[in-house]
Amino acid sequence: MRKNDSLITNLDWPLFISFITLIIFGMATIYSVAFNEDHPAIFAFSEKYGKQLLWLGISFFVGLLIFLIDADIYRKIAVPVYVITLFLLVIVLFMPPINGARAWLGVGSMGVQPAEFAKIATALLLAKYISELVVKLQTTKTVLLACLIFFIPSVLVALQPDAGTLVVFSSFLFVMYREGLTFDPIILGVLNSIPGMKFKSTWLGSHFIPVLFCFLFLCILTLVLSNTNFQLWFFPNQSFKGSTGIIMTLFVLALLALLFIRQFSAKRDRSRIILVIALGFIITSGITLFVDTAFSSLARHQRDRIELVLGLKEDPDGRDYNRNRAMAAVGSGGAFGKGYKEASVSSLKSNHVPESETDFIFCPFAEEWGFLGSFILVFIYLFMLMRIIYIAERQRLAFNRIYAYCVGMILFYHFAINIGMNIGFAPVIGIPLPFFSYGGSSILSFCIMIFILLKLDSQRKDML
Amino acid sequence: MKLENRKYIIILFILIVGVLYSSRLFYMQVIDDTWVLRAQEIAEKRKEILPPRAIVFDRNGRKIVSNKTYYNLMVIEDNVTYLDTVAFGKLINWTPLQVRERFKEIKEGEGVYFNKSSGKKTSNYQTQRAYPFLKELTLDEITTIALHLDNFPGFYEEVTSMRSYPYSNGANILGYLNEVSREEVEGDRFYRPGSNIGRSGIERFYEKELRGRKGIKYVVTSAMNNAIESYANGKYDTTAKQSPGLTLSMDITLQAYGELLMQNKKGCIVAIEPKSGEILTMVSAPSFDPNLLVGRKNISLNYPKLAKDINKPLFPRAIKAEYPPGSIFKLVQALIAMQEGVIRSTSGFPCNKSVVGCHDHPNAAGVAQAVQYSCNPYFYAVVKKIIQQQKKRNNFADAEIGLNLWHKYMNSFGLGNKLETDISGQRPGLIPDSKYYDRIYGHNQWAFSTIRSISIGQGEIKLTPLQMANIAAIIANKGWYITPHFVKSIGKKGPRPIYLKRNQTMVDAVHFSSVIEGMRRVINEPGGTGSDARLEEVVICGKTGTVQNSQGQDHSVFIAFAPMDNPKIALAIFVENAGAGGTWAAPIASLMIEKYLFNKVSNKDKEKLIIETTLSNIRRP
Repeated sequence: MRKNDSLITNLDWPLFISFITLIIFGMATIYSVAFNEDHPAIFAFSEKYGKQLLWLGISFFVGLLIFLIDADIYRKIAVPVYVITLFLLVIVLFMPPINGARAWLGVGSMGVQPAEFAKIATALLLAKYISELVVKLQTTKTVLLACLIFFIPSVLVALQPDAGTLVVFSSFLFVMYREGLTFDPIILGVLNSIPGMKFKSTWLGSHFIPVLFCFLFLCILTLVLSNTNFQLWFFPNQSFKGSTGIIMTLFVLALLALLFIRQFSAKRDRSRIILVIALGFIITSGITLFVDTAFSSLARHQRDRIELVLGLKEDPDGRDYNRNRAMAAVGSGGAFGKGYKEASVSSLKSNHVPESETDFIFCPFAEEWGFLGSFILVFIYLFMLMRIIYIAERQRLAFNRIYAYCVGMILFYHFAINIGMNIGFAPVIGIPLPFFSYGGSSILSFCIMIFILLKLDSQRKDML
Repeated sequence: MKLENRKYIIILFILIVGVLYSSRLFYMQVIDDTWVLRAQEIAEKRKEILPPRAIVFDRNGRKIVSNKTYYNLMVIEDNVTYLDTVAFGKLINWTPLQVRERFKEIKEGEGVYFNKSSGKKTSNYQTQRAYPFLKELTLDEITTIALHLDNFPGFYEEVTSMRSYPYSNGANILGYLNEVSREEVEGDRFYRPGSNIGRSGIERFYEKELRGRKGIKYVVTSAMNNAIESYANGKYDTTAKQSPGLTLSMDITLQAYGELLMQNKKGCIVAIEPKSGEILTMVSAPSFDPNLLVGRKNISLNYPKLAKDINKPLFPRAIKAEYPPGSIFKLVQALIAMQEGVIRSTSGFPCNKSVVGCHDHPNAAGVAQAVQYSCNPYFYAVVKKIIQQQKKRNNFADAEIGLNLWHKYMNSFGLGNKLETDISGQRPGLIPDSKYYDRIYGHNQWAFSTIRSISIGQGEIKLTPLQMANIAAIIANKGWYITPHFVKSIGKKGPRPIYLKRNQTMVDAVHFSSVIEGMRRVINEPGGTGSDARLEEVVICGKTGTVQNSQGQDHSVFIAFAPMDNPKIALAIFVENAGAGGTWAAPIASLMIEKYLFNKVSNKDKEKLIIETTLSNIRRP
């Protein structure tokens, strides 16, 4: 075993630097958004930035401990941590509700949300379970057990209720997909028939998780954009519906795919791939059109209910709902933003965008730094996710790889849903933007997640 | 496919989301500007700042209309998190019930307007908007309240300015301000509900010059509608600018003296500086203190009282009342006759009492004497010569030509029409022409004999006191006048061009000397009807009139100018139901002239008598 002093050489600096950059961006945004002239010091613990800084301090202290402790421990403690977390998730249901949800453990502002830590615990146990399987995720039993690992905490979270975290738990399906989950185990267990066997071996059967999510994503996007009109500068005086926009985007994507197959595929596969792309385009467009027409043919009150679930409609008069205001804040940022501390719509003081320090923190950032800043932020997140996948794939231990994928997928979900709801692409479900949003539990849990990943990765060569 | 390759699918998924989000952000932030507008709608408010209205000075630079700062206690319902009505009531000396009633009143009253499109009364009361809870508080009142406002969230103080009148004179000239109507708000973007507009007099006519330039401040507001900070550090803000002061031609001390003399009487005094047409004084009696109509509280309290007052203090008699001029009209008749050549200044006519009544006096041997004696038969003869010039054989047709010629002369004296000037609410008076009599008697159904009472300023003839004073000014100037006006200068710009232009009458200067001589005699020779107006230091020229009044006692009227050789003041006095012109109107004129020219009063007894006498059936409630 190597000594810990080689941590510096073994640390994955690109990931660490992108992580620190996001932490700094987030801290600066909280300082700007919650700025109080009476307590201008960033260490003012009566203010939100002071508290966030305190939590960051705690997080980095925990990070230091993680770096000092041997990475072997996570496989060992995965089960007890998971059990304790479940216990806490049960306890929290008996706590007095805050803002309508029984999510908080502890008193006042220093309370913690077990749901945030449940993600880490689940990731660890899932990594342990799958990595120790002799047969991959191929049998009904193993798949169901793996699903159960994240199903239990997600049910407990749903009882709080916390729709956002519930949705995030579905990210583990992607991890299972990477680890070999295909269409078959469940269906085959029931049917065990020849058509099932045949379907399993098709492209669609083996990649059914991403395909399923693609369709889900499309459906939600269609619904969210159903009452949006937009204009394109090369078609002046003509406004397009949201669904038209989706189909046009799909068309562009299909064309791009056709252009690039030349480079990435063998000659004999080409006609088949072209067929897949064409079929994919037709099917996805069909789904979009179907969802859109089905939705608009619904009765008013049914539509209202769906819109309510998607968070499109919070205000009774429906005109000024959060999403609209958040989008106004983001959109008004322009190309280069209004400048630091100049977020006139989304600062906490103006309070036009609710929760602008937590769930809607992207608003003040985008308003202050404009497209330039927003694009850099999106880029850093993408870079981070790519790096995590790269790190995952270079691991020799399945446990490390699966854990890394869990972290990557959780972050991806948070990133996609949180920014999506700020730009009107996702329903408004309250989940924090990783490393950005104000909140002790969220920042601590995301930091621990990354620190464990960095530690596991730094010791990857030891495990021989 | 190897499981490891599944990472490409996941990477593709992440990249698609990344590209989608980036292009969406690019569209929202760079291309589509609807969100910028939406953000402005949400977070930026245009705050308009009204400058205080311009100050008004009198001709000697005395401040006669200025502004006083008042305070409103504003309330925003959304910010009222809790309200102890007992404690709050105690603070403003109200009962808790009154406090609740006032809230109800604001909700139901302030925002309600008549919606034209729906035909219904609509309330646009908004809980996040500021409404005045208490209006027009003085500094003392607000300071006692403001000390405790911390205990009452949602309430705050706001500064407003209102008119104040250091001299309580000239109410009818200056006019008053009142809250704008909804139509006015819709008609002019300057106004907002609750702002003030000039309702009468100078305030109304010079509204645009007085109101100043509105300042606009762009502020970033919170969801609670409080201003947080100025937008873009005030880059787009404009400051409110008060207009330069307005200098009136009025002499406030003379005005005040006139109002004092006219107290307990109905009537008016109009004094003009003949050379400039500047109105020195315009008293409409009875008058009232302009401070009574400052602010909503005062207006709602005092306006009904003033409007109901049987003596009509709100009625600006000097410009709106149309009286028969009586004998002062004879001056104009003589001038027209001489200009037309139908008489000469030396023409004499016998005092033939069989035509019309007259008092005992020698026969007038010329215009000057006729004026001095105010001989009625003389002027019958004179006007007959103007009207019936024998240009046509038909007597009726001849009268028509003559009357229309006479009418033209009269118009050139500024009679029968409103003066084109800065005095709002004038009446034109009445100088009849042939059409007028055709309507009454029928075409070719009338001749001089039918309408002869116009010769002595009775019958259909009607003049406003302003026009009477203008006649005095014309005679003082020997044939021209500058349109009488109130405003000497806006800021430092000096008089407006139209107030530099001489309006020439149709009568040449040469014909005036005999009339002026007659007017001198009226006051300064024995047997003159206006000897009560005589002053030692200065020669006053004047003419009395006694207007017969079918409704009651005769009106007393007098026009004059002084000094004779270099006229500095021309004036008309009209006292309703006060008898002969020489008894009341003439002495008032002399006091005014002495006060203006020498700033003193030599005959204290006369002054005292006039001040203390009640005339004109003034009724006190």
